[in-house]
Amino acid sequence: MTGAMVSTPRKSPHTDGMIAIHERLPRRFNPRRQRGMAIGTISPLLLFACLAWLSPTSANPVTTEHVTARLVAERTEMAPGETVDLALVLEIEPGWHTYWRNPGDSGDSPRVSWSLPEGVEVGPLRWTRPELIPVGPLANYGYSGRAVHLFALSLPEDWPIGEPVRIRADADWLVCEAHCIPESGTFGLTVATALGPGPIDPAQAEVFASARGDLADGTIEGAVLRTEAAGLSLDIPADLLPAGLDEAWFFAGSWGLIEHAAAQSWRLVDGDLRIQLTAGPAAAQVDPEGLLVVSDRQGGVRSYEVAAVRGPPLLEGDAQRSISLPLALVFALLGGLILNLMPCVFPILAMKALSLVKGLAGEGPGAARARVLHGVAYTAGVLVFFAALAGLLLALRSGGAAVGWGFQLQYPPFVVLMAYVFLVIGLSLSGAITVGRRLMSLGGTRSGGGTLGAFGTGALAALVAAPCTAPFMGAALGYAVTLTWPPALAIMLTLGFGLALPFLLLSLVPQLARWLPKPGPWMETLKQVLAFPMFAAAAWLVWVLSVQTGPRGVASVLAGSVLVAFALWLRERAQHLRPGQRRLALAMLLATLGGAAYLGVATVRLSAPAQSLGAETGRQLPSEPYSPERLAAARAELRPVFVNMTAAWCITCLVNERVALDTAGVKGLFSAADVLYLKGDWTNRDPAITRYLAEYERNGVPLYVFYPVNGEPKVLPQILTEDIVQGAVRQGPMASSRSH
Amino acid sequence: MTASCLKAAALGVVALAAALTVGPTAAAPKVGAPAPDFSVLDTKGETWSLGQLAGKQVILEWTNHDCPFVRKHYESGNMQALQKEAGDAGYIWLSVISSAPGKQGHVTPAEADALTESRDATPTAVLLDTSGAMGRAYDAKTTPHMYVIDASGTLVYMGGIDDRPTTKQADVEGASNFVRLVMADLAAGNPVANPVTRPYGCSVKY
Repeated sequence: MTGAMVSTPRKSPHTDGMIAIHERLPRRFNPRRQRGMAIGTISPLLLFACLAWLSPTSANPVTTEHVTARLVAERTEMAPGETVDLALVLEIEPGWHTYWRNPGDSGDSPRVSWSLPEGVEVGPLRWTRPELIPVGPLANYGYSGRAVHLFALSLPEDWPIGEPVRIRADADWLVCEAHCIPESGTFGLTVATALGPGPIDPAQAEVFASARGDLADGTIEGAVLRTEAAGLSLDIPADLLPAGLDEAWFFAGSWGLIEHAAAQSWRLVDGDLRIQLTAGPAAAQVDPEGLLVVSDRQGGVRSYEVAAVRGPPLLEGDAQRSISLPLALVFALLGGLILNLMPCVFPILAMKALSLVKGLAGEGPGAARARVLHGVAYTAGVLVFFAALAGLLLALRSGGAAVGWGFQLQYPPFVVLMAYVFLVIGLSLSGAITVGRRLMSLGGTRSGGGTLGAFGTGALAALVAAPCTAPFMGAALGYAVTLTWPPALAIMLTLGFGLALPFLLLSLVPQLARWLPKPGPWMETLKQVLAFPMFAAAAWLVWVLSVQTGPRGVASVLAGSVLVAFALWLRERAQHLRPGQRRLALAMLLATLGGAAYLGVATVRLSAPAQSLGAETGRQLPSEPYSPERLAAARAELRPVFVNMTAAWCITCLVNERVALDTAGVKGLFSAADVLYLKGDWTNRDPAITRYLAEYERNGVPLYVFYPVNGEPKVLPQILTEDIVQGAVRQGPMASSRSH
Repeated sequence: MTASCLKAAALGVVALAAALTVGPTAAAPKVGAPAPDFSVLDTKGETWSLGQLAGKQVILEWTNHDCPFVRKHYESGNMQALQKEAGDAGYIWLSVISSAPGKQGHVTPAEADALTESRDATPTAVLLDTSGAMGRAYDAKTTPHMYVIDASGTLVYMGGIDDRPTTKQADVEGASNFVRLVMADLAAGNPVANPVTRPYGCSVKY
């Protein structure tokens, strides 16, 4: 018998984390509610209702076969407009258990439906942290011993003081040992009202205090859930978690996300707690949220609500992201060493090495000291430049600017400046001018060279390395700048140190210098030959600029180059002039350089021509420009999509396109499988592409993502081969045909 | 030249990194994939295997007559009605009992037949998966837990019987019966709209 006033049939919500259904009782038997009823029926009905509240069916506590349950309020009195906490306390027979909001593999959460006077409200059930209850090969999330479910009861402002609040709760719960018994109880509770809140009921204080201690200690934002071949990987930012973690367990908030009974392993990776989970049957569909329960070595247990976003899988190409910091530093050092072989850097290093052979290889303490100073100054030059660049990038990022590594190349004046720099170095190496000697000690024919000169060379090496690092080191550096400042700087500086290392070793260990070939006329030949990679780099940058700014930018940079050449010629001539004429020549030189600089800076106003990359020749794979809308539309019409994020200044991108995408095989496969090829051009800054890259935790190109008709998008490695592309596309449609 | 050298070096690094990552996963039944095979005795002592059922549509029902969730569907007549509909549509209906000896729901063949008769149930057969091997192969978690296999032997549905995870008979009416929806989808030649749902009930007593 559930009371006459509750005439509506009990709704059974079918949501997993069900909670409370509210039914309205007229406050103080509001006569308007009975309007239309025959007068004679009113009083018996009222009487019946009164009896229903007082009747023994709404007992408190309720004792069932396996549970003693009670509904209690934290305070004996409450004031209108205020809130008091209620607790539904289930004292469970040893060996038996009840369930959490996600009951796990079987079982059912408790449900409470409230019968409340008008205006009175009860908030949702607040769940305390559950325990993991293994049941054979299965597992449940639930409570043993005592389960306390908290609710907030709030009273309207206009509730008459002195009028007690009578509420009723109909609760159902499933209690299980090996087998399960559905139980229920109807609870009546009366809370007195007064001007102010009454004292905490000492009889209930312990129940409420301990239940609150078991509520979540907070919510952790920014967690990422990835689907990988080996299962699910959940990365939870660890900054809120206590130090000295001893145990961690993730309770999925709803059925289907994970296998509840499967083992979970965890470790700390770069400030994140990474938990490996086993995917459940609906891992891709259900909301990736739940509760993280951790304990520290002192035995303190804390729990946090975790609402994760889905991230792309960590696949081959970005496996480097999961490496630890020490390993990342090793790779950065190797990367820096590799930079020395770059066409833009190698000539400088070669020249420096030659200068050692020629001038610094002398014997005696003086020469040795000069060598060491030289090497240290060079290293310092490299490191200062890298630190400055890293600082600028990190500052821009913390300022919220959507920039990534290689960002400097998205700025046309920088490209122009770099083209000038390569031109000047090339001219200097080819022997057309002698500018390098004093300023940068590039020729290095004099034994001193000067520590300042060595420092300048180091900075120059780093400067010219920058365009090379963008395409080749983009991913690693992109990863680095997503870290906090100290590790990010450490990685950048290690990269710089790697760049400086060969020369530093040469200058610190004279024995190494002896391995270098003997000086001779071949050195001049080598120097001149090395001018050509420099000219090639300049030509490449002019092409980059043509993509960025169109023909007007090319005109500017070429005109500027003529001015730079003229200025260099003036400088050469000025050395042989009388002081008066020399001043005039230097003024002209400065004016000419100013003109070149102006032409360079002015390119910032030139916008890119429409349809930049791609869509040029029939050799290329037919593509459409990337836009989020186009991607979403194609996905909606169940078309597989291949996304290529690229930039003109990214050599890796261009090489990949040439060898792995613009091939007859891929062309045939794409048209056969009706793959839409979307190309995003990041040559210039484009926030939509920067956002897309960020979704995949990148901040540099290239990025290749294949979206099969159904299933998770697959991130391809940054070094593409035709086989990788074909493999990814072939796997996609096959997977979809299997599932129907 | 240098670029291709670098490319080779980078490939090496990538390969090294890839080699450091690991791991296959345990096979679980997958919708869209061939249903796991089984070979289990029924109450009459006959062996049933998926191989023999080639070309037939099959419904598997994990059951435990003492489980309140199962009782909800038998005492309301819901399960029997579903069995009848499935039988009329040509389905093979196999009720599977994976309760281990001594655990709740474990029955002798005679008891199982008596239950079928007393409840007026019409499964094609009741399989006694005493070892739990079939249950584990299907990753059956609850009673009831329902599976539908199409004529090609592909698993097309696994999950709950309906969307009201309660023990109340009153909830049968108005619930969306997933198995009935799957049968309708298959009859119409449509893909199954909800191929995986939450199974609800008592745990299987392995």
